[in-house]
Amino acid sequence: MSSQDAQSLSPAAVPIRLTINGTERRLQVEPWTTLLDLLREQEGLTGSKKGCDHGQCGACTVLIDGKRANSCLVLAVVKDGAEITTIEGLGQPGNLHPMQEAFIEHDAFQCGYCTPGQICSAVALVQEGRAHTREEIREYMSGNICRCGAYTNIVDAIEDVLGQSSTLREAAE
Amino acid sequence: MDETVIQDRGISATFSRVPHSEPPHDGAIKGGVARSVKHDSAPRHVAGEAIYTDDIPELPGTLHLHLAMSAHAHAAILSMDLDAVRQAAGVVRVLTLDDIPGKNDYSPFFGDDPIFPEGLVQYVGQCLFAVAAESREAAFQAALLAKIEYAPLPAVLTVDEALAADLDLLPRHEMRLGDAAAAIDAAPHRLANTLHMGGQDHFYLEGQIAYAIPGEGDDMFVYSSTQHPSEVQHNVAKALGIADHSVTVEVRRMGGGFGGKESQPALMANVAALAARLTGRPAKLRLDRDDDMVMTGKRHDFRIDYAVGFDGDGRILGAEFDQAARCGYSADLSGGITDRAMFHADNAYDLQAARVTSRRMKTHTVSNTAFRGFGGPQGLLATERMMDEIAFGLGLDPFDVRRANYYPAEGGKVTPYHMEVTDSVILEMMDELAESSDYRARRRAIRAFNATSPILKKGIGVTPLKFGISFTTTHLNQAGALVHVYKDGSVHLNHGGTEMGQGLFIKVAQVVAEEFQIDLDRVKITATTTAKVPNTSATAASSGTDLNGMAAKNAAGAIKQRLIAFAAAKYSVPEEQVVFLPNRVRVGNEEIAFPDLVQEAYLNQVSLSAAGFYATPGIHYDRETASGRPFFYFAYGAAISEVVIDTLTGENRLVRADILHDVGRSLNPAIDLGQIEGGFIQGLGWLTTEELWWDKSGRLRTHAPSTYKIPTANDRPDDLRIELWDKGYNKVDSIYRSKAVGEPPLMLAISAFSALTDAVAAAGGYRVFPHLDAPATPERILMAVEDVKTRVRALES
Amino acid sequence: MYPTTYHRPSSLAEASRLFAEAGDAAYISGGHTLLPAMKTRLAAPENLIDLRHVPELRGIEVTSENVSIGAGTTHHAVSQSGAIRQAIPTLAAMAGTIGDAAVRTLGTIGGSVANNDPAADYPAAVLALSGTIITDRRTIPADAFFRGLYETALEEGEIVTRLSFRLPEAAGYAKFRNPASRYPMAGVFIARHRGGEVRVAVTGAGNDGVFRVPEMEAALARDFSAGALKGITVSPAAMLSDIHGTAAYRANLVGVMARRAMENLGSAVAID
Repeated sequence: MSSQDAQSLSPAAVPIRLTINGTERRLQVEPWTTLLDLLREQEGLTGSKKGCDHGQCGACTVLIDGKRANSCLVLAVVKDGAEITTIEGLGQPGNLHPMQEAFIEHDAFQCGYCTPGQICSAVALVQEGRAHTREEIREYMSGNICRCGAYTNIVDAIEDVLGQSSTLREAAE
Repeated sequence: MDETVIQDRGISATFSRVPHSEPPHDGAIKGGVARSVKHDSAPRHVAGEAIYTDDIPELPGTLHLHLAMSAHAHAAILSMDLDAVRQAAGVVRVLTLDDIPGKNDYSPFFGDDPIFPEGLVQYVGQCLFAVAAESREAAFQAALLAKIEYAPLPAVLTVDEALAADLDLLPRHEMRLGDAAAAIDAAPHRLANTLHMGGQDHFYLEGQIAYAIPGEGDDMFVYSSTQHPSEVQHNVAKALGIADHSVTVEVRRMGGGFGGKESQPALMANVAALAARLTGRPAKLRLDRDDDMVMTGKRHDFRIDYAVGFDGDGRILGAEFDQAARCGYSADLSGGITDRAMFHADNAYDLQAARVTSRRMKTHTVSNTAFRGFGGPQGLLATERMMDEIAFGLGLDPFDVRRANYYPAEGGKVTPYHMEVTDSVILEMMDELAESSDYRARRRAIRAFNATSPILKKGIGVTPLKFGISFTTTHLNQAGALVHVYKDGSVHLNHGGTEMGQGLFIKVAQVVAEEFQIDLDRVKITATTTAKVPNTSATAASSGTDLNGMAAKNAAGAIKQRLIAFAAAKYSVPEEQVVFLPNRVRVGNEEIAFPDLVQEAYLNQVSLSAAGFYATPGIHYDRETASGRPFFYFAYGAAISEVVIDTLTGENRLVRADILHDVGRSLNPAIDLGQIEGGFIQGLGWLTTEELWWDKSGRLRTHAPSTYKIPTANDRPDDLRIELWDKGYNKVDSIYRSKAVGEPPLMLAISAFSALTDAVAAAGGYRVFPHLDAPATPERILMAVEDVKTRVRALES
Repeated sequence: MYPTTYHRPSSLAEASRLFAEAGDAAYISGGHTLLPAMKTRLAAPENLIDLRHVPELRGIEVTSENVSIGAGTTHHAVSQSGAIRQAIPTLAAMAGTIGDAAVRTLGTIGGSVANNDPAADYPAAVLALSGTIITDRRTIPADAFFRGLYETALEEGEIVTRLSFRLPEAAGYAKFRNPASRYPMAGVFIARHRGGEVRVAVTGAGNDGVFRVPEMEAALARDFSAGALKGITVSPAAMLSDIHGTAAYRANLVGVMARRAMENLGSAVAID
């Protein structure tokens, strides 16, 4: 990450307002800045990772107004007024989100680089309420690559959290 | 006929997860060996708090680097006009050949990997020059302004072209056991065939990156995402023309490595350090994903020709393998990789008579490099294809043909490199797996299904695995560790191994906790740095835990011995009456808390810090005679896979895989199971979906995940059953009798390739043996099906 | 990416005026077509005109004859729309198979159609459902809209505002996905309209973009069943051949996907 201060921004920068992890932020952004770069380089939120920078690996997945998106394929300026949740905003050690807890419990990672994206994607998947079976979890998680191949444990972790929500129980009935 | 049934995946089973283990009894330490302790970084990984190199806060004034790349596969560079680059906005310095104070090389051994070219480029993507600028964007845009004049030269791109041109990069090598040619000639049955197999991009999710920070005088500190900090250190020193002791290289963790960060990171680190030296400012080089895929080496693609003689039971009487690998433009690690392919031509089979030859071909493509398995998978794949072909020719079950050829458990048989195999457990493991997976009945059921299914065809494949553990370059089998015990009884652990997600750090910490009999949370895991442990080998060859675990055990053991001697003297008891119990020490009839004993020892001027060292005993290999004992021991594995293909589209799925794997006495079953599954999935990618595609001008066209298919959650088999072999035990004195696990499981995916071959054969009513090269993409499967059908029609007419 | 200036019009007229005044400009909505192009420097507009706040591009309307979808509607919204699921279930299902979940959150129907990527899903739906493309200037029938790879009838600065689809009596879609990109290597959308007209549109496979298959249409008009397609092939000469697959392979896939679409009427099948 770099600590880019407002003075170094170009005159083309425009003011925007974003709610990031519950905190309202008034920011100056250059129009060509992606949300990922804004988060990592201006806001110091390095949990979201740059894997491929083309929206194909899922390492940069964040929640925009509650829906998952590849933050490397979104211009920050276009999301003026949006609510952004990153991995840091889901929970921190000592106060983790149930999905984060489940990923620990199920060893759902190896190198950890895809993990923040996997967890954000999984949280959205549960909220979307469309995945009820392991097969559906796998299909709806197919935008997030784990090169270490920890997929079994990732799906287990998600299934675990889904099972805690009413979604799976309803489906079973 | 419901053509879409292949999409109906049914109910999936999964392996039973190993729960995070509680201590085996009350009062035992938390987190010793043989427990499923969770990964040390788990809470940080899930919270996005684990710091990778690109996440380290940048120092003020940090420069960003971009590497300009060759547009030609093979060309003389007539001129490079970089004036416009230098004058571009934001550019601070342009780095070229003339700026290198030391040696223009980042190779591991051979001196043939120039940082910047000396008038000649040898692959598309080769680094030409570097731009250091105030931002990555500025560096990138400035580089576009370069005017490069090339004089293109003829380019040799593939193994077959290189063979035709007789373009060897390294000397050929040959292993001989008996007279294979005579044995084949005299055999009742013979066959010969050829298999081509593609390479593989590592696609570590964290790309190549280095961040160099200049210090006072000659000093240079480099954060590098590397499996081999010592080599990066040496390379930076060599390029800057300074002593190794002036360079410190550190890595806390990598976002995946898989072999791709063994030799490759030296380029990034060299350029970053060079920029830092020339400008006096910190400098960071992070490759774009596309540039990373174009610029850095991959798994070697191979052509292997085999010939074999066998009897009516499929017992092999003699076999010959002619292996040829695409090495790319420079040697890199190709010598060791192609050697390992040869070392694995026998897989788990007593070939009786064998000749294995290897040619290491030069091509004008990126220099291929280490990738999980290091040539072993390629050697094995051809052998497994051969076994399937023998079984097909005799009309026997491929399981039985393999079974007739295993190295015997009692020893007495030697490999083509004349090493006696004394620890073979493969027959027992395969029989167990056949039983637990219901192999025989399923094979019959598949045949019955295929008889009535015109479009979908199923197949089943079996793969036994024997994989040699040790660096085949003998001297690399050494490791160091540094252990400090502080006055409060807490422990600082450092060793030469690097963490790339494989769980090395937690396993070694478990070893140290066990040795001191203290809870695991009393052991601090620290970043790998060349300043603490020098002259390390790469974390590679599956040897990380074997070597570093032993070194750490030796270091902890040395301190422990001093504590024993101190306690014995102080309390006047014999040394054998000083016993380390969980978190305390019994001295005679007294028990002292571990921190209290440590405090006492400190007050009595006992050293509480030790460096540990380990070198694998008794291994050697003589190239002249192509014989020796290159491996400390063998790891074994067994896999059975079932697939279904759609003969109209080539679409295919792995519907079930059963795996039984030998990790000896597991240090951490949860981590080991993760390695097995991950390796298997990665092998599956190599053999089925991951296709590297170069065009005729030598440009890699698959340089992003949008064109290069990495397995996703959807590609995992529907039903995957993985077990650690409960009888696993290392016969040699390895760390707590465990076995290495990093690479071997990748090769278990060959069972899926065998199964696909079987399914294609079914499309021709098992009348002809399929031609199916790797990776078996849908299109290649469809072509193989069409070919099988054509040949069957020819037989019939 | 290259520096660019950002504009945020709040009406269609303002958007159009900004484009005309700006010189070098590009419209952006979901950004999933434009951003990859900007990142690879294939596009470097000096001005970005954000269409996300233009009200004319919003909303879904269903009548007994048509489904009309605002160009700014995301793939996710189309796939989840109860009205569309009821009116043209295959269209909603198809939208649910585009890319992956994160792509569907942001990618829009207007962007997909305006770009006419030869491998996008929507062009096949627009053509088979006898759709019309409504712009800030006119209404263009689907048959006149798509003009080869990335080429459309759109004029400089013209904005797609809505897509209108005829409600079919029956429709089906099947695609063979490129495993890596998840774009179709062959996607076949089949619709039977009132009065018996059958349209078969193929995306991903043709060397000149989306196309119709008259032989299949005629056969299905006589007998609307998968069996009617037996023996009908498309010529490899008209197919795309690239790193993902040969022309012969794609031609084969078109035939197989057409049959699968017929076997799965009312839904969308994605295979990889």
